[in-house]
Amino acid sequence: MDHKTRVYDNVFEMMPSEENPTPLVRVNRLNPNADFPLYAKLEWMNPFGSVKDRAAWALLRDLEERGELGNGRGLVEPTSGNTGISLAALARARGHRLLAIVPNKVPHEKKVLLKIAGADLEIVSDELCPAPGLGDGSINLAKTYAKAQSHKYVMPNQYENEKNVEAHFKTTGPEIWKQTKGRITHLFTSLGTCGTVTGIGKFLRGKNSKIKIIAIQPTEGHDVPGLRNISQLEVSKLFDPSLIDDILEIDFNLAYTRALELCQNEGLLAGPSSGLILEGALQIVARDRRGFGVMIFPDNVFKYTSNMTKHIPTLEPQETKATI
Amino acid sequence: MTTNHYVHPEILVETDWVKQNLGKPGVRLVEVDVDTKAYDAGHIPGAVGFNWQSQLQDQVRRDIISKQEFERLMSEAGISPSDTVILYGDNNNWFASYGFWLFKLYGHSDVRLMNGGRVKWLNEADKELTPDRPKITPTKYHASEPDLTLRALLPEVLKVQSDKRHNLVDVRSPDEFTGKVIAPPGMTETAQRGGHIPGAKSIPWSTAINQDGTFKSADDLRKIYFSNGGIDPGKDTITYCRIGERSSHTWVVLKFLLGLPNVKNYDGSWTEYGSIVGAPIEK
Repeated sequence: MDHKTRVYDNVFEMMPSEENPTPLVRVNRLNPNADFPLYAKLEWMNPFGSVKDRAAWALLRDLEERGELGNGRGLVEPTSGNTGISLAALARARGHRLLAIVPNKVPHEKKVLLKIAGADLEIVSDELCPAPGLGDGSINLAKTYAKAQSHKYVMPNQYENEKNVEAHFKTTGPEIWKQTKGRITHLFTSLGTCGTVTGIGKFLRGKNSKIKIIAIQPTEGHDVPGLRNISQLEVSKLFDPSLIDDILEIDFNLAYTRALELCQNEGLLAGPSSGLILEGALQIVARDRRGFGVMIFPDNVFKYTSNMTKHIPTLEPQETKATI
Repeated sequence: MTTNHYVHPEILVETDWVKQNLGKPGVRLVEVDVDTKAYDAGHIPGAVGFNWQSQLQDQVRRDIISKQEFERLMSEAGISPSDTVILYGDNNNWFASYGFWLFKLYGHSDVRLMNGGRVKWLNEADKELTPDRPKITPTKYHASEPDLTLRALLPEVLKVQSDKRHNLVDVRSPDEFTGKVIAPPGMTETAQRGGHIPGAKSIPWSTAINQDGTFKSADDLRKIYFSNGGIDPGKDTITYCRIGERSSHTWVVLKFLLGLPNVKNYDGSWTEYGSIVGAPIEK
């Protein structure tokens, strides 16, 4: 394994670490403020294309080390796509199977990618009608498999497993600290399982208690895959509000328009959750005026062409009319 | 058995009661889910699973199953008229409540709901699930003629909305009530128009349950439906939703937990009413 020449014996050696960090790229044209530079951490440069590689790898290794996998026993996990893609690809490469329980609103591209990565899919209808304590259909179905058929399935449970937090405490946090040479003043990230915000937040606070941790969430009723509004966070046991300075609620439509601006002005082919985080970061730049910001950009836009055209209809390619 | 000062506490059992009575003769468990795959993934040991789409609905015309079909379903599930039937399901007992209504309609004397539904059982560490289907010994079940005092049909609903002497309870989400959406996202059963029946009170079904999926106490329910919701307990009542399952949940609350004398479930609900030419609609 040599990170300088980038020659590896297997894909697992490519997993991110302090020695092999994902890139940190400055956003220039969309944030010309010299007193508050914003850097995007391009998590789509991970081997399986998203920030979830980190948690998936930690969850899988933990199960392997504890002898929970093998002899016909595979994994079951509720996922909005990215964790499933990482987990399926990693699991299959190590000889395990994954049953991914997927909410129906997950984009078509992600569902196909899950199958390409080797997951077995079960699609469920979540959010039928708002209800307190109803839980999440995909989480409950995965729990059912793990409980009723424990000889066949073990559930890593990214929403409750501390290994999810630990992955970011051990990799993403130290990477950012080293890459910014300790200059970071603001971290901008979204909320999903909350492993990212809790893990990086804990690490950075340990280094400098003044670093501001800003969580960005879409407005209620959103359709930004992978993210959760605060009202949906009950499912995550990893959410630690004491680590968070501000929770910004951003109109979810801006996730799509800001993502397009990143693609067309910065050359960063960012997905909608990155667009949402950029909008939140720009609001804090306008408020705090001075700082050094790092934004976690979870994945790129390639999986979201159908969502992008839904929210920005002008992206729909039109047949050119023949002129006579 | 649950009390919580309900008028008919005997229609509810707690998950612990179910665990203690697993496999006892005369106690039969039936799971009815919105997500019909859930039963196959895992269910309470000994429970049979009913598919609300293929087993509780007439497969040709739009209707509940006939008396003969209900008798066949019970016989094939090994249920006798004297059995204590415990229903439970996902989404805090939506279709389990619909099943409960159907059992009552066909005169099954001892039918109960498991308070909290499948999600409560699933999240309790001491409760088991199995993918194995139980061995069934078929019975010869005889049902009663349907009790139509429990069921509202369209002509009655149209009359009631013009007379304005009944409580009409719309239990759908606020966006369905106002007509912003015709059905929750992803639902295939829909109507031609959005809105609600004129004079209906909007009290979403979910206001009746606690965070853990169990029903709220009678005092809380009285506040929700009578003091705040504007339901007059002295009047006859009709509940409705989109296809009659969420309204069954509220029907259970009003008829059994709060003991209102005359409560009917309008199972045609919005998918029927919202498609009728000329029927008055409010938005």
